[in-house]
Amino acid sequence: MKTRWQVVGILGAAFWAMALAGASPAQAQKKMSVLTWNIPYFEEGFKKWVVEFNKKHPDIQIERLDKKGTEWSTFYQTQVVAGTAPDIIDIQGALWLEYASKGGLLDLTPYMKKEPELAKQFYPEVLKGWIYEGKQYALPFIISKTLLFYNKNMFKEAGLKDLPKNFDEMMSSARKMTKGEKSGFMTLNFDWLYWPLFAMNGIELLTPDLKKAAFNTPQAVKAVETLAKATQDGVINKISWTGRWVEPNDAFAAGTVGMFHAHAPAFLWFKSKAPWVNEETVGAAHLPGGWSTPNSHSILISKSCKYPDAAWDMLKIIATGEGAYALGTGTNNLTGNIEVNKRLLEYFSKTLPVAVPVLKTQLEHLDKLCGNWPIAKDAEVKEAFYPELQNALLGRKSAKDALADAERKVNRVLQSR
Amino acid sequence: MAFPNLEYFKRDRTRQLFLIWFFLTPSLIIFTLYRIIPLFWNGILSVQFWSPFGESRFAGLYHYEEMFFFDEVFWKVLWNTILFMASAPIGIALALLVAILVNTQIRGRNVYRTIVFMSYPVMTVAVGIIWQWLYNEKVGLINYVLISLGILEKGVPFLGHFSLALPCVILASIWQVIGFYMIILLSGLQNIEPALYEVAAVDGANAWMRFWKITLPLLKPLLFLCFVIGIINSFTSFDLIFVMTQGGPAHATDLLITRIYTVAFKLSKFDYAAAMTVVNFLFFLGLTLLANKLSGGEAGAVETER
Repeated sequence: MKTRWQVVGILGAAFWAMALAGASPAQAQKKMSVLTWNIPYFEEGFKKWVVEFNKKHPDIQIERLDKKGTEWSTFYQTQVVAGTAPDIIDIQGALWLEYASKGGLLDLTPYMKKEPELAKQFYPEVLKGWIYEGKQYALPFIISKTLLFYNKNMFKEAGLKDLPKNFDEMMSSARKMTKGEKSGFMTLNFDWLYWPLFAMNGIELLTPDLKKAAFNTPQAVKAVETLAKATQDGVINKISWTGRWVEPNDAFAAGTVGMFHAHAPAFLWFKSKAPWVNEETVGAAHLPGGWSTPNSHSILISKSCKYPDAAWDMLKIIATGEGAYALGTGTNNLTGNIEVNKRLLEYFSKTLPVAVPVLKTQLEHLDKLCGNWPIAKDAEVKEAFYPELQNALLGRKSAKDALADAERKVNRVLQSR
Repeated sequence: MAFPNLEYFKRDRTRQLFLIWFFLTPSLIIFTLYRIIPLFWNGILSVQFWSPFGESRFAGLYHYEEMFFFDEVFWKVLWNTILFMASAPIGIALALLVAILVNTQIRGRNVYRTIVFMSYPVMTVAVGIIWQWLYNEKVGLINYVLISLGILEKGVPFLGHFSLALPCVILASIWQVIGFYMIILLSGLQNIEPALYEVAAVDGANAWMRFWKITLPLLKPLLFLCFVIGIINSFTSFDLIFVMTQGGPAHATDLLITRIYTVAFKLSKFDYAAAMTVVNFLFFLGLTLLANKLSGGEAGAVETER
């Protein structure tokens, strides 16, 4: 009996000793988490960031999290509610605006002011894209914007020699290429990616003070009528207005679309599905007028971050020098860093020459970025506008009625709480 | 100090009660934690201005007013949900037809039963992808068949069509669940005494009368069960919609459940989504009570010895 109690006592002591030994270092260890957007394969580069970061902050352990685009915002917001928001986050598009407007993100302006040389490393137009109410909230992560991919075979078949110079020419060229299963034009539609079609017609979404809808004009009605007619005639592939990512890219990969308005990452996607795609068959150009909508990723710090200074150091590692280079080479993307991009283009000309013309377009006409309004209710405005546009483009409503309804809805969103 | 009355604990009824509570308690704890508390919390959230990032404050009925008087999309998705739900009897009727067919003495009936049931265990996401391809305008089987038969001249983008998108999604949903309905109804059919049919036949009742007077009344509890499953299905078809259409085009296939998700996680309006969830819950509760009443008012009741 005595032996049994001795064994229990020894086991109990061992348990507590192990528990205490295990707990102490964990309690002493500082932790920071980095949430990235659908780059689970980016392991080597991430390790490089951590090694670099730990040279300055050996006491802080970095935890890596990665979520698919469809899960990202759900995951982040639930973590915020749970009080365990990831400290550093990589966000696509305009999602950050909502978080910034509600006070969920750290204002980086004081850090930028302390290091004025840092801003000079980035494209000013790109950096400007992450300013909300005069405050800088992010540094560039990977950058992309829309461009025009064109099927050279279909251009040749239709007897087209030049690229279109304006909206009307673009629609006219698209019409010439349309025959049977083939359609002349297609666009991606999410995150305002279709807005260059409006911008090239001189249409503004909102008034300059961003407080009222400004798009319900005769030019807009005319442009929407043209787009709707072209859609009805099969000149614009209907997937433009109903598909999201896979369907439009698959359609272009099938070789039955003349011009495809999409952002740069689309290239490697459809190329992977279409052996016929090469420099001889697919060209990359700017949309008439050089208009494009950015769909870049940015890197930000959650307001709840316990070590904001350390997080800022991590941001600099990611957005500059070797860290940004590792990001570019590891994900086949350009960054927002001017010098790093020069090195990346050299790298891609050796490893992925077919993508270089596409990537070069990403660094041009940065003064013609559109569809990126700094409004907190970006998602709501998008939601109020796009279904009405769909109604017009797919023939359910006249352009005039759809734009009038969209105007009413957008104004209601802008004026509501 | 008075001792408790030990006789009380020795009674059979006390023991039975103890046993009942013993088995019920774990479920009740889980039910309270994961259903009742969130339900109340959701109700509170619906009368607040709330964001994951900031302080909350009282909003009164602001979100409900917004929903009922200004949000056209809410009424659209509510109507879609009702249509989706109203399709349940179609699926049940088809399942009953199949169940009667495979309950006859036809050769290979077990194979037919298996084939019809096979769609049910398939993951909803896979069902969505399969039907998305079937409906595809350019390479879809349905368009191919319709064009080959000369019914269509060119492919129809079923899921991108305002009027066709919802029926197409409903059809996919029925296809998935029909096997499950069939198994339930088949078990009911096999429990009906053959003697009842024999007696009716002797009395001169034809097949149609036997179906109306014997089969249908005896299947009533199971038909009710299928109907409740159909209602639940219409409220939980989130993944099917998400994969096939994401609620589009222009909310044509949006249901309450998909809209609630969009409002909460894409528009970051958790407070408004909470108000929609309350309405969703009350709507669901009302339907369940109505269905219960229509089925005799004792669905789920335990029969006890009197």
